[in-house]
Amino acid sequence: MAGWGANQGQYGKEVYFQYEDLDQQQESYVVGMWAFLVTEVMFFGPLFFIYALYRWKYQTDFYLAHNDLDYVLGGVNTMILLFSSYLMALAVFNAQKGKLKAQVWNLLGVLGCAFGFLIVKTVEYSAKFTKGYFPDGQFMFNYHGDANPEIARIFYSLYFTMTGLHGVHVIIGILVIGMLTFLVWRRSQGAQNTVTDYVPTEMVGLYWHFVDLVWIFLYPLFYLMPK
Amino acid sequence: MATAEHTHDGHDHGHHITPKNTLTATFLTLTGLMVLTIVAARLPYMGVDFLYDDSLLVRLITNGIAIGIALLKAALVVQIFMGVKFGTKLVKFYAYGGFIWFLTMSVILIDYFSRPWEPVQGWEAAPASALPRNASQPDGTNPDFIIQRPEHGGKDHGGEKKSGEH
Repeated sequence: MAGWGANQGQYGKEVYFQYEDLDQQQESYVVGMWAFLVTEVMFFGPLFFIYALYRWKYQTDFYLAHNDLDYVLGGVNTMILLFSSYLMALAVFNAQKGKLKAQVWNLLGVLGCAFGFLIVKTVEYSAKFTKGYFPDGQFMFNYHGDANPEIARIFYSLYFTMTGLHGVHVIIGILVIGMLTFLVWRRSQGAQNTVTDYVPTEMVGLYWHFVDLVWIFLYPLFYLMPK
Repeated sequence: MATAEHTHDGHDHGHHITPKNTLTATFLTLTGLMVLTIVAARLPYMGVDFLYDDSLLVRLITNGIAIGIALLKAALVVQIFMGVKFGTKLVKFYAYGGFIWFLTMSVILIDYFSRPWEPVQGWEAAPASALPRNASQPDGTNPDFIIQRPEHGGKDHGGEKKSGEH
């Protein structure tokens, strides 16, 4: 990725020709990433509004329906994501310090956490599938809990939509972090045509923290619903 | 403690590096909040039921605690892990703007909540719970309604009131 501009080939100091200096370059990267994250907020936001609407109307049945979710598994997943966010922050720290080998280990840790999250999610989902709680296209929703089945269907539709969309983001995160890990590892081996500074790590980090952020709200709303 | 270590070394062009201690402290705080929110949510299952009844006030308080802790965790992640606290003005503008926009967008919910206010047939309030279903009384009222339709004297649109439909 060595392009035109100042300080070519110096890790963390390359300035591309369209920027005045390093500060401006970095700020525009971060602002661009945040503009993307704002669209992500718009993407997830309406789902939270749908949740709020039905939860307000059908609190009793939502509460009864949520008892079938395993709050321990959900809590394990929350801790996995929080820890992976911490590792990602450390990866950015090491990238800023130029400690690329440590950074590669941090990123591998994040990847491990992401796979762990998906494994726990698979366990949870398959338990719901076995019970017949997935409101599928054939309308085979087969609810046996205490709540009104009609409302339980709304609850599980929201549950699968929101956690599913979040899960897709985790999978995308795995792909992006995987590529980043490879690029940083190549840089740590001395290759020039790869990441030129810590900014790609910070961008991926912002995305990953956002995925964590969504789960921070999903967990209390679905697994820890107050009466 | 850790904020004193925030340094701007020369060849870094003033870019902020959040120290490791701050990151670790943030993670530990997040873990503590996580434990707190689980304990708060599981209290009614641990025999302290008497604190919980179905009144709106208690619901608002318990939900407020859960959402409040989530907001606190989110603020820590955004400010420290995502570094908005140490970002430039433009970064702050975008970051805060996104969440403010989200809150502003919640106004669309008014459409659903305001429908029972209007004397239009078929816009009656939905039942608060479908448990028990079809609980309409002989006089046409439904005890499950959250908001009872206001009486509009002679201005009614003439149709018979339908209960429990939405």
